Amino acid sequence: MISPTLSVRNLRKIYGKKNPFTAVDGVSFDLKEGEVLGLLGPNGSGKTTTIQMLLGTLGVTSGQIHYFGKDFFKHRSEIMEKVSFASTYTSLPYVLTIAENLRCFGQFYGIRDIEAKTNPLLDRFGILDKKDKPVSSLSAGQITRLMLVKAFFTDPKVVLLDEPTASLDPDVSLDVCKFLLEQREKTGLSILFTSHKMEEVAELCDRTIFLKNGVIIADDLPENLAKSVSSYQLRLTIVDGMKRTIAFAEKKQIPYTLEHRVIQFSLDETEIPPFLNSLMQAGVSYASIQIKEPSLEAYFLKIAEKSQ
Amino acid sequence: MNRSRVYGVFLRYFFVAKKGLHQLSDIFYWPFVDILLWGLTSLWIRSQSDIQNLPLVLMTGLIFWQIVWRGSVDISVNLLQEFWQRNLVNLFSTPLKFREWIAGMLLLSISKLCITITFGTLVVYLLYALNVFTVGWAFLPFAASLIIFGWTISFLASSLIIYFGHKIEMIAWMIGFLFAPFSAVFYPVDVLPEWARAIAWCLPTTYIFQGMRCILLGGSCPVSYFWISLSLNIIYLIAAIFIFRWSFEKSRHKGLARLE
Repeated sequence: MISPTLSVRNLRKIYGKKNPFTAVDGVSFDLKEGEVLGLLGPNGSGKTTTIQMLLGTLGVTSGQIHYFGKDFFKHRSEIMEKVSFASTYTSLPYVLTIAENLRCFGQFYGIRDIEAKTNPLLDRFGILDKKDKPVSSLSAGQITRLMLVKAFFTDPKVVLLDEPTASLDPDVSLDVCKFLLEQREKTGLSILFTSHKMEEVAELCDRTIFLKNGVIIADDLPENLAKSVSSYQLRLTIVDGMKRTIAFAEKKQIPYTLEHRVIQFSLDETEIPPFLNSLMQAGVSYASIQIKEPSLEAYFLKIAEKSQ
Repeated sequence: MNRSRVYGVFLRYFFVAKKGLHQLSDIFYWPFVDILLWGLTSLWIRSQSDIQNLPLVLMTGLIFWQIVWRGSVDISVNLLQEFWQRNLVNLFSTPLKFREWIAGMLLLSISKLCITITFGTLVVYLLYALNVFTVGWAFLPFAASLIIFGWTISFLASSLIIYFGHKIEMIAWMIGFLFAPFSAVFYPVDVLPEWARAIAWCLPTTYIFQGMRCILLGGSCPVSYFWISLSLNIIYLIAAIFIFRWSFEKSRHKGLARLE
């Protein structure tokens, strides 16, 4: 049996002794080769704490972490040669230029021709012309992109990303997501990803883990999580037969909302075709139809609402 | 120990040192001001007293104290750089090992020290026509012993800083001077009150400064001074690194990100 790229078992972090606070409570999951795994949850749910423990920059209270089948606590340095990290919440020495920063990091990974590795990535992220500028002269978005260059120029097998697109404009965010998928396609790397942008997560992640109060409350495909809390929204602009439509919905106990001539129903995906068929048979005519898929955002909002 | 990673750490702080005005002022400006101030003071004292070698004693003491002070701030200020530039998590989310980090910082510390000593010696010679190398070949083991104690102080300061964080960062610059009065940098140990003398003889620096004065005032330095100093240095340095390692692990347990 092939061992997962990253295996986490019963990971626990308790802060303090007098008034202990459990930030992460018995978290277990696997990250497979080539998988993009989203780690989601409201603020304070334990996402960043988990990532920090997976990097070794935060001690664990108990639990096991294995990368590539090796015990992380015994082989940290060896493992970190193949693991990298980027976060919006850290920076790089701001008096150093981009080139100097990357040179130092390249030395940590034993990379000889650092420019050959970094220049294509700097170019890809549109900051090659700023290579000899100090980090202090870069915008927040450019620093975020530099952090991604730092994370990827070392040819990692696993990348841990803590909200890597938080400070980016939508178009740049989209480009970063595209880049991550390209890299996965090209190198087969595994990505553990936290974000508050649910659309991005749904687009990017093969699987999603939801944390709440330090506990995994869901581990599933993004679309399954979305479906678990919300239905498809069918929106019709009725031309003729509004009363018949409402009567039919009430008879079938289908929830709806009404606004002027627009009526919106909450339905399961499989209920939509027979429902539309029934309306047609009842002689209802409509000017427009809109179908909205259940969203991961709805799931997130529901979890966040519950935790408040 | 991976040499590429040690060199990476060296480069990281070297790049900062060559750009940071305060780092350059530590290497050139402050030693220059000290030499000027103490040199003129000692010239005046000589004109008022019988001790002919006093300027040389004070100047050599000053250069030697620069070695201790230089070492005492190097590690802790490098650590603070990581706090200020929110880079600690980045640094330790790489394959870098704790001992490689230490080795890289010590390498840079030695390099900076060589520059400071060369510069200081040259300034003393040009301004006062005094040669601090009058102590002869003893200079090298003396300097080695002094920088080791400087590092010991810096590791102790770093242990406190990494454990308690920003709120005590001033300790990086303060702690070195705490040892100066007890090390008898500019005066013999006999000048100190009895309780302070007991502390003084526990410090490796005291033996070096006493030995230095013996040589400069025409005598010879007891060999035992050097060996006692070296022995104390080794014990203290190992203990200080051990304490720093312990504090670092405690801090890592609480989370390095909290320090940024």
